[in-house]
Amino acid sequence: MKYSIKHLILLMLALVFTLPIVILFLLSFSQKWVFPKLLPEKLTLENWIIILGDGHVISNSFVISLSIALFVAASATILGFILSRYIAYHPKRRLLTFLTYFPFALSPVIFAICLKYYFIKLGLIGNLYGIVLAQLIIALPYSIIFFLSFWNQKVLDYQNLVYTLGGKQKQAFLYITLPLAKSFLIICFFQCFLISWFEYGLTSIIGYGKISTLTIHVFQFINEANIFYAALSCCLLILPPVILLWFNKRFIIQQKG
Amino acid sequence: MFLEVKNISKKFKNHQVLKEICFDVDAHQTLSVLGKSGCGKSTLLKIIAGIETADGGTVNLQNQNVLSLPAQERKIIYLFQEALLFPNMNVFENIAFGLKIRNTEKHIIKTKVTDMLSQLELDGYDKKMPHELSGGQKQRVAFGRALILNPPLILLDEPFSSLDVETRSNMQQLYKKIAKEYQITALFVTHDLKEALLMGDKICYMENGVLEVYKDKQSFIRSEKTGVQNEINFWNNL
Repeated sequence: MKYSIKHLILLMLALVFTLPIVILFLLSFSQKWVFPKLLPEKLTLENWIIILGDGHVISNSFVISLSIALFVAASATILGFILSRYIAYHPKRRLLTFLTYFPFALSPVIFAICLKYYFIKLGLIGNLYGIVLAQLIIALPYSIIFFLSFWNQKVLDYQNLVYTLGGKQKQAFLYITLPLAKSFLIICFFQCFLISWFEYGLTSIIGYGKISTLTIHVFQFINEANIFYAALSCCLLILPPVILLWFNKRFIIQQKG
Repeated sequence: MFLEVKNISKKFKNHQVLKEICFDVDAHQTLSVLGKSGCGKSTLLKIIAGIETADGGTVNLQNQNVLSLPAQERKIIYLFQEALLFPNMNVFENIAFGLKIRNTEKHIIKTKVTDMLSQLELDGYDKKMPHELSGGQKQRVAFGRALILNPPLILLDEPFSSLDVETRSNMQQLYKKIAKEYQITALFVTHDLKEALLMGDKICYMENGVLEVYKDKQSFIRSEKTGVQNEINFWNNL
């Protein structure tokens, strides 16, 4: 009895999580779905064909979002890895760590308004460079905080051990530090990718309507009450994170194995 | 003298960790450094190894002051309290590491590592990963990784402190055997009185950053501060 109740609860939970996604996909394949009909009147690939067609605004924004997220994730991970080492072994580690938390003290929208003046002065409003920089201001501190836990005494001991064995700094990094940090680097890359991919407030203010990422389009379609296109954009929006989650899960399972 | 340490001092903020440390070690000898935790033993070893800087003094190894050299060029190997086997490498790769970074030819590496595994009684363990080994086996691999390079000086920082009594005793015997075979010159740091007596050809005692070197084991045993007399009294009165 206990066994079946447990399974029923698990099944219900699975439904709660998957049903919105199923509905999202159903909506993306439909053009008319009116109350009280249980299912859309017609299921068609038309929305997908139009939107993913060459030169359509959504397919373009998907490419822009993906490029921004990949660049931000890669830059934040690499820079965060290097800077966090400097902070972790610095005599003023506590102060530097405290300062790293600063971008998270404000909401992204308020933070963006604070930054806007400087971005206008630097000519970074309404272009890709500005958006990348704005997102890095959030993603980089996250990456630094993430890696601070990696740089502990043991990692330092490993490096010192390599030196006493006659190894150079480059060899210590390639043979020891990098393999030790591999899982940290991958997870941090995923997290930074997600930060950038779903970023809305900062991007909409710094982008100034000139750069449309996928997240901005989703909100536009919702405001226009275009639920079918909004659903389709949402499907595209969840696609990369789902693929990354799958990789993440696979990687973690492999690590545990 | 093979190793000559003169007037080594070290201060961390306002705390004087090492005060004008002087001692010397003959070739193929092991000097035991006994002292309580936090007395400055590890700092002394790290300065000699080149992974910590000294405020003053000299370290002459084979008549060359090595203090200005980086750790990579000193040819002094420091064995940490923990075995610190590289977790991404198996036993063979761990032992071969020093040879690999020196671009030694593969067939030489294979021969040398196989011999070393045999010396350390680790035949058949070459493919094992560090997490598959016991504490004693890990320490053996750490020894092998250092010994294969035939370094002029090895610094051992309480290498057996985390092992159980039996494994510790086995490792002490193994070290004695290997030290004799490979004619090792070493500094052996420990906080264990018995271990200091067993491992060292010469013994010194460190307290509050001051090192006292005893000319022989008898002087060490007679000294009040080393704690040997208290130990003897304890067993006599039991």
